[in-house]
Amino acid sequence: MDLTANIPAGPLAEKWDNHRFSSKLVNPANRRKFKIIVVGTGLAGASAAATLAEAGYQVSAFTYHDSPRRAHSIAAQGGINAAKNYTNDGDSIFRLFYDTIKGGDFRAREANVYRLAQVSNNIIDQCVAQGVPFAREYGGTLANRSFGGAQVARTFYARGQTGQQLLLGAYSALSRQIGKKTVTMYNRREMMDVVVVDGRARGIVVRNMLNGSLETYHADAVLLCTGGYGNAYFLSTNAMACNVTAAWRACRRGAGFANPSFVQIHPTCIPVHGEYQSKLTLMSEGLRNDGRVWVPSAPGDSRPPSQIPEAERDYYLERRYPSFGNLVPRDVASRNAKDQCDTGRGVGDTGLAVYLDFAEAIRRDGEDVIFRKYGNLFQMYEMITDVDPMKEPMLIYPAVHYTMGGLWVDYNLMTTIPGLFALGECNFSDHGANRLGASALMQGLADGYFVISTTVANYFGSTKLDPVATDHVEFSSVKSQVSDRLSRILANSGKRTESSVSVDEVHKELGRLLWDNCGLARNAAGLTEALEKLPSIRESFWNKVYIPGDAHDINQSLERAGRVADFLEFGEFMLRDALARNESCGCHLREESQTEDHEALRDDEHYCHVAVWEYKQDEEPVMHQEPLVFENVTPSQRSYK
Amino acid sequence: MKTIDLTLKIWRQKNNDALGGFETYLLRDISTDMSFLEMLDVLNEQLTAEGKIPVAFDHDCREGICGSCGAMVNGIAHGPVKLNNLCQLHMRAFNSGDTLVIEPFRSRAFPIRKDLMVDRSALDRIIQAGGYVSVNTGGGVDGNAIPISSETAELAMDSAACVGCGACVASCPNDAAMLFTGAKITQLGLLPQGQPERKERARAMVTQMDKEGFGFCSNERECQAQCPKGISIRSIARMNRDFFRGSLFGE
Amino acid sequence: MWFFNFCKSSIGRKFFMALSGLLLLAFLAVHAFGNAAIYAGSKYFQFYADFLHNFPVLVLLASVGLGSVLVLHIVLGLSLFLEKRQRTGRYEVYARLTENTFASRTMGYTGLFILLFLIIHVTTFVFAPGSDTPISVVVMERFSSFFFSLFYLVSFIALGVHLNHGFFSMMQTFGFNHPRYDKTISVLTVAVPVAFLVIFGGIPLYFMSGAGASFMHH
Repeated sequence: MDLTANIPAGPLAEKWDNHRFSSKLVNPANRRKFKIIVVGTGLAGASAAATLAEAGYQVSAFTYHDSPRRAHSIAAQGGINAAKNYTNDGDSIFRLFYDTIKGGDFRAREANVYRLAQVSNNIIDQCVAQGVPFAREYGGTLANRSFGGAQVARTFYARGQTGQQLLLGAYSALSRQIGKKTVTMYNRREMMDVVVVDGRARGIVVRNMLNGSLETYHADAVLLCTGGYGNAYFLSTNAMACNVTAAWRACRRGAGFANPSFVQIHPTCIPVHGEYQSKLTLMSEGLRNDGRVWVPSAPGDSRPPSQIPEAERDYYLERRYPSFGNLVPRDVASRNAKDQCDTGRGVGDTGLAVYLDFAEAIRRDGEDVIFRKYGNLFQMYEMITDVDPMKEPMLIYPAVHYTMGGLWVDYNLMTTIPGLFALGECNFSDHGANRLGASALMQGLADGYFVISTTVANYFGSTKLDPVATDHVEFSSVKSQVSDRLSRILANSGKRTESSVSVDEVHKELGRLLWDNCGLARNAAGLTEALEKLPSIRESFWNKVYIPGDAHDINQSLERAGRVADFLEFGEFMLRDALARNESCGCHLREESQTEDHEALRDDEHYCHVAVWEYKQDEEPVMHQEPLVFENVTPSQRSYK
Repeated sequence: MKTIDLTLKIWRQKNNDALGGFETYLLRDISTDMSFLEMLDVLNEQLTAEGKIPVAFDHDCREGICGSCGAMVNGIAHGPVKLNNLCQLHMRAFNSGDTLVIEPFRSRAFPIRKDLMVDRSALDRIIQAGGYVSVNTGGGVDGNAIPISSETAELAMDSAACVGCGACVASCPNDAAMLFTGAKITQLGLLPQGQPERKERARAMVTQMDKEGFGFCSNERECQAQCPKGISIRSIARMNRDFFRGSLFGE
Repeated sequence: MWFFNFCKSSIGRKFFMALSGLLLLAFLAVHAFGNAAIYAGSKYFQFYADFLHNFPVLVLLASVGLGSVLVLHIVLGLSLFLEKRQRTGRYEVYARLTENTFASRTMGYTGLFILLFLIIHVTTFVFAPGSDTPISVVVMERFSSFFFSLFYLVSFIALGVHLNHGFFSMMQTFGFNHPRYDKTISVLTVAVPVAFLVIFGGIPLYFMSGAGASFMHH
């Protein structure tokens, strides 16, 4: 597996400029001769499709939703970072770069991250030009806030709906191109496989979710903008349909998958309330600015919070991390919450929650001030739980939120399959082992608006592409493989027996296995055991899962089954990667690798690399390494004491 | 944990060409902490266990922002609780023994795909007709180059909050998409970036809206009452103004 | 072409509905002002009627204009009413969250009722009386019938209800909806129909209550 990162020469700050200059261009008149497929219409996909169509390429965009506007980027609440330094508090491109790479615990590529910080400013300008209603100061300038423990105010926001507004901006740009017929939009199509001809990605096979027919599309380049795989855990803050299928299918066709075990777990989510629970809802971590996290000091204390006196409460974050207190990074807050619950001090009906208490802030600032700051979040919490956080502490618990791992890409965002690009959350490139708050939106739009147009042109300009159309034998071959797999999934359909299981039952079992063994804290014993258990879950899926209906109709059970089947295969990559990385870093704690006082201990000597996994048919996957070289920053051990 | 028993009358229809009808289902021991869609999940698991075809319904984020979900519950879009999407409606809004009549968002412009799932791409086509600022990537000036007052940005945001669920259309006695269209026209019409195309945008989007088969507006305010994001009919008034300017005095 | 497109658009149709409504409202205002003379007594009322008859060409032109506006209002209204009935019936169960929807829900019905009233009103007071009977006498005669007066009273209530939504709807269609004018519009939405109800509805009441007995003596 060729893992040449193609990082341009020159000083860090000049690499992107150098690269843009040395990259091949495609003459505007020639661009219409190139077809590009964009899979997914979230921030990365919609922005890429719009930008490439504006440039003159023939673009086809695909989404499994009924409309490109529904992608899960829409749910991001907090904001988007940019190094504008409008607040004059010492921010710079280099500082945003440094914070991002340090936040990622030095497991990302310097050059990629620096480019991200560089184009962050263009993103804001672009979004403003599109009519994104960012929050403004009274004087009319853009408002900024400090987010996720950052020491500078560099986060731009549109109330608590920044993701929505940025996505609608990209969607409007995409819609404009659809209206101009430069983009052909395919709704309700799920990508089932990528077609590789002569070693290059030349098309895709999709399932038309309305009538079940398999359709093939050819192109000169395929862009996967298909998001993350957090739903492998069944419960996550991801939308219900988020899945790994597109990335996993690409992986099976030869694309390396990088750091699959790097999963971000967000500390402030509304806890699980029952077996029927379908997803978890995030509460913005801004709440930790004023909320105090605590549990009862004594395990098993089931008194209501109001009856637990101050002396019998443990404000464990403030106690353990005096200088950062409740504002420790996401992974530290998450891990500590889980620790408390594991030692029997969790609260709520399930014992899987901790308190986030605003009583002191309300006493200090008054009800009005606190409600003005968090009113809409409190209302959302009350809508879901029927509890008013102004009167009682909130219950929170960590939940899977974002996946830093993804398809391996080089500096050009190209995977190890030439012609196949990965943008946004579905690649691994910028967040290392942990993502900073308000950086996901930045990366999706950076890739889609500003990076891909250069790198796709370079690919077209430097590659001799033979004409290939869907009548090529490879298309029919992949199509029949997809069809066979669907038939295999439906094999048990129509003969429900006592031992039949539903798709959700299998998915929940996989989710529990991953959450317990490949979640916040991992150890070799648990991971090995999970690897042993996984095949039996897979087996129960293939032998016992019952799918009502057939393949020639809208069949949401079948759609879910296809995704779960891929999670079951991909889960093995996550476990293997977690097992192979015997260090604590970023979001996860490896129990074998801790300091004396139980803090995460990174191991730069052995693990300063990207772990890239290669799929092998009927064999164990093979791990390759891309070493990470730090020329501009010195990896330091994080400390929040 | 409180639980309730419910009778569901759900519209079942194989596709737009097939004849649909109501099916009645009984559900027992539904936790009042469940969301409405989780209740439908439970029903679907039950139907699957009985070897029957589950109820198809669109849904995704389940936190009230993607706009995928939506159905009429006892004649009200997204159910009886104001200012929430169907996914945020929780079963504590109902009492044991209630009968819930669940129908798809019906509109002449929304063909039924299956059961509660409808095709709302007509709304996309309205946006495609002009719901954008024509700026290519890279064409923007510095974000602070054009000041926008905080009030204007907030007003624009009020309209921009639309999730495109189609509740306004579904709840409108006239089957109109005025609130949806007005919201986008208002957002862009308020901001300086939207000014150059303001008149033509209103004309083009309204023309497309009519072409899709949506109805007219009789100013009954039902869309505003049932909009999960509380978008005001002021946006319709603004659309009307821009439309007059666009079609009577446009360039 | 552009004008044709505007006319057939959904908002264009509503614009003409609102515009014709506004013109009819203006006519009603003039009519109400003239009819208020009834309260002053038959002499003044007859004077007002005779004054109008001194300008037959103007009256004819105004009548034709008014008639066309009315026809436009009715034809548009009916088409909207029928379309609405078709579209509202698309649900098995349909409920409203908006409060006070009586006026808006019944626009078509109150409109049709007012049309019925207009036919009776016009045949009674414009075409039926011979030219030799003074209009004040006709008024006195007709309103002395209790049921005739009651019918008028009911019609004016229907007009009030129609105007209650009609006025708001007209303002909204024209695009008048701004926080600064919310108060004014909401006051006018009640005040305008009430004013007409008092002036017009007072006439049958005036005669029904017996106060009108002195009408001819003034």
